[in-house]
Amino acid sequence: MSLSREAYRELAAVVGDAYISEKEHILSGNRVKTPEIPFEYHSADAILLPGSTEEVQAIVKICNRYGISFIPTVSGCSADAFAKHANSVIIHLKRMNRIIEINEEDRFAVIEPGVRQVQLYPEVRRRGLSYTAASVGPGGSVLANFTSTSGDNHVQHGTSRANRYLLGVEMVLPDGEIVRTGSLQTGSGWFCPDGPGPGLRGIVKGYFGIHGQLGIVTRAAIALDPCRGPREIRAEGVSPHQRVYLDSDCSKVRVFTFNDLGSLCDAMVKLGEAEIASTVQKFFYLPMTLMMTDSANAFWEKWNSGIKEEMAMPLVVHLATRSVEELEYEETILGDVARENGGVRVRPEIESWWDEHMDFFMVFGVLQRVLRLGGGWAPIKLGADSIRHMCEVGESISSYIHDYTDTGILFDAPESFQIVPMEYGHSAHIELLFMYDRTNPSVRPEVGKFTARARASDIADHFHAEMPGCLNQTAEQLGPLYSNYHVWLRRIKESFDTNNVANPML
Amino acid sequence: MDKLKDFEYTMDSCNHCGQCKWILAPKMKGWDFAEICPIHQRYGFDAYSGQGLLSIAKEILTGKLQYGDGLEELLYTCTCCGACDVNCKNVRDMEVLDTILALRDDCAKNGELPKAHRETARRIAGTHNIYGLPHGERFAWMPKDYEDDGNADTALFIGCAAAYKNSDTALAAVKILRAGGVKFRLLREDERCCGASLWRTGQTEAAAELIERNIETFRRLGIKTVITACAECFGAFRSGYPRFARTEFETKHITEVAAELISSGRIAPKAFREPLMVTYHDPCMLGRLSEPYVPWNGIIRPFGLHEPPKTWRRGENGVYDAPRRVLGAIPGVELTEMTRNYEDSFCCGAGGGATEANPDFAARTAGERRREAMSTGAEAIVSCCPFCRQSLEGAGDNPMPYLDLTVLLADSL
Repeated sequence: MSLSREAYRELAAVVGDAYISEKEHILSGNRVKTPEIPFEYHSADAILLPGSTEEVQAIVKICNRYGISFIPTVSGCSADAFAKHANSVIIHLKRMNRIIEINEEDRFAVIEPGVRQVQLYPEVRRRGLSYTAASVGPGGSVLANFTSTSGDNHVQHGTSRANRYLLGVEMVLPDGEIVRTGSLQTGSGWFCPDGPGPGLRGIVKGYFGIHGQLGIVTRAAIALDPCRGPREIRAEGVSPHQRVYLDSDCSKVRVFTFNDLGSLCDAMVKLGEAEIASTVQKFFYLPMTLMMTDSANAFWEKWNSGIKEEMAMPLVVHLATRSVEELEYEETILGDVARENGGVRVRPEIESWWDEHMDFFMVFGVLQRVLRLGGGWAPIKLGADSIRHMCEVGESISSYIHDYTDTGILFDAPESFQIVPMEYGHSAHIELLFMYDRTNPSVRPEVGKFTARARASDIADHFHAEMPGCLNQTAEQLGPLYSNYHVWLRRIKESFDTNNVANPML
Repeated sequence: MDKLKDFEYTMDSCNHCGQCKWILAPKMKGWDFAEICPIHQRYGFDAYSGQGLLSIAKEILTGKLQYGDGLEELLYTCTCCGACDVNCKNVRDMEVLDTILALRDDCAKNGELPKAHRETARRIAGTHNIYGLPHGERFAWMPKDYEDDGNADTALFIGCAAAYKNSDTALAAVKILRAGGVKFRLLREDERCCGASLWRTGQTEAAAELIERNIETFRRLGIKTVITACAECFGAFRSGYPRFARTEFETKHITEVAAELISSGRIAPKAFREPLMVTYHDPCMLGRLSEPYVPWNGIIRPFGLHEPPKTWRRGENGVYDAPRRVLGAIPGVELTEMTRNYEDSFCCGAGGGATEANPDFAARTAGERRREAMSTGAEAIVSCCPFCRQSLEGAGDNPMPYLDLTVLLADSL
């Protein structure tokens, strides 16, 4: 089905003919090819590339007038970035890619949605600043990471979730009204997320961003941290064997293994209590093995050579301090904590891999190697609670994972989940990333069964470990565990999006 | 030559991660010069990218999408520069560029080849060069009294561009080899187009015929090593020819030979001009796309296991250091690097027949590359591919001097 000619003409008049298309091969580029998603996608009827907030506003108003659903996107990696209903357009925000401001004094950056991780990160780092980036790869939208996801990331032990760094926001609501939040609203600048009255950050994000389905963020300010480490990163070698170093006397990576999850859990708690380290993570060893190898064949060779036994309970710690003395102090504490809990340093060649891939702690390009085993991956859990509760949840996975991995359609290992403490152990994020081969036609039901089983485990055991979703069925199941968030989510959606055109839920 | 169906695994396993569009994280320098796909940067739609072309290929393969309505223009605007391919292979085991080439093959077989490329094929068939100029003039640049080592087993392959358009490059290559005491011969009337323009535009049957003929020529003349000053010919010999036939000759680029001659002391560049700050442009076909192609016929088991193991071309073994070593050996020449360099070099716009299919886009892309070169503070952009030269010396924004590395080195001897 195509848009009415009147609607198309009006949309084209907003963006110009070069930035709208309904040609089938152009639409093909944004037609989802995800065989494992448990619902049918539609093709968008047109793709638009607006260049300004005003253009976005005009598009949204036209969509409301004609009852056209719109889906905003930037990188296009999320399953939510595709048309789920007929009579939809994709609003691709790639052209809105300006860094409006980097305020070094007040430590914030104002960006448009099209600014990518590889664009902003070096700009702020050379100014002695940094920000917490989720593992979305070089082309991920920085803004979407802060406004439209939970923002969990691998360096959140010494920082926090990205969404806690969100400051002023400019947003086109589902009906086309432009809202500016916090200090921005009063003309006081971007520095503060909230103004008088109810906070709007939750409205912007829904429960966790994109699943709120509430319009389009067109500019946002994010808070920046002082950079721990040099302003320049040093890279050597040619892909896929590049090395990325942080030349600093104040930076060290240490990797330990522990005998059991309980000991590792105690160590993470103690490191949080001591308030040391930039990064602390019980990393998942299956993705780690993928990151360390340069082909699927090399992965299988390494995987079958005993790495999973050796690295079953790995703790990766990055110490990044502001002085050599501080580093010595943190290293001493780390050594004590590891020793007291039975942690043992891994082989030098494993530890040195991390020293040579410091981009992992910045924009995480190398993590995309998890896609290598046929392109399929999906997480279970993704929630956040205390470190100890996350360990309890992680331990439970072994009771049911084999039912799904033994068929050979899904691939993972029981202990291969990650737990990443946040804000020095204030809470922690859990995630088990399982793999499947997208080229296998049997995948779709198996992915659904495994994720449903993981969810059922949480409900039955009253775990607080699942990321509540927007899908109505999932929301109905998990809502009672999370203060019936789904009821509120729907009411907010109905209030702001009376025509239900802003990336409607399924 | 592989067909579209052979790349279904690549099409099916792509999940839109976007690595094919953006510079690799270790190379990040800032907001500017972060995009690595010329067509995506120019047109913005995801269809204009490696990821988008994989989606299109899948829909063509399954019959969901048909040629027409501008698809051919999109497909032939792609410069086939391979940046998407190398970036993807940083993290994945996929064949993005080979899928695009197979899609071009499919498009051509469906009779949808752009007229400009049909014309190129007609010229090559008639005159053995891409310009349609008389074959007898191919070596018109050669001095009348020139004599070479007629029985040498090393050939200097001039290529269409240097033979007909950039004879200074041809003369410079001869001068360098002679100065270094390299025994070589020219193929004269036996030299014909390398076939890159056919292979890379999907005219695979014509390419196969030409390639087999060239291989037979080398065999007949006892050629064991082919030296070329053209990056396009070089890339074709190393990564194109093995797709069509078994090759028994070694290929070297003139910069590789020159770097060896310099390091062994057989030639010694001298200062010959005012000090000059230059930046070096890595030609796609000399850099990331020149890795030797090793045919693979196997099975992809579940979870990506390739049986037998496949020799991947991830861009690591391209020719990157030799040109830089040559530049570094010329007194007074100082090199400053662009952000998008080595395997992440940004195409000049001339690749894959884009100049013929979409000259405006090619000129704009060249302008973008010059803008990056100028941002380094360099006074000139240096490269060693006649097609890059024509593009970077051509019309468009941000004009700046271009120097051919082969000529630059020869002038310093």
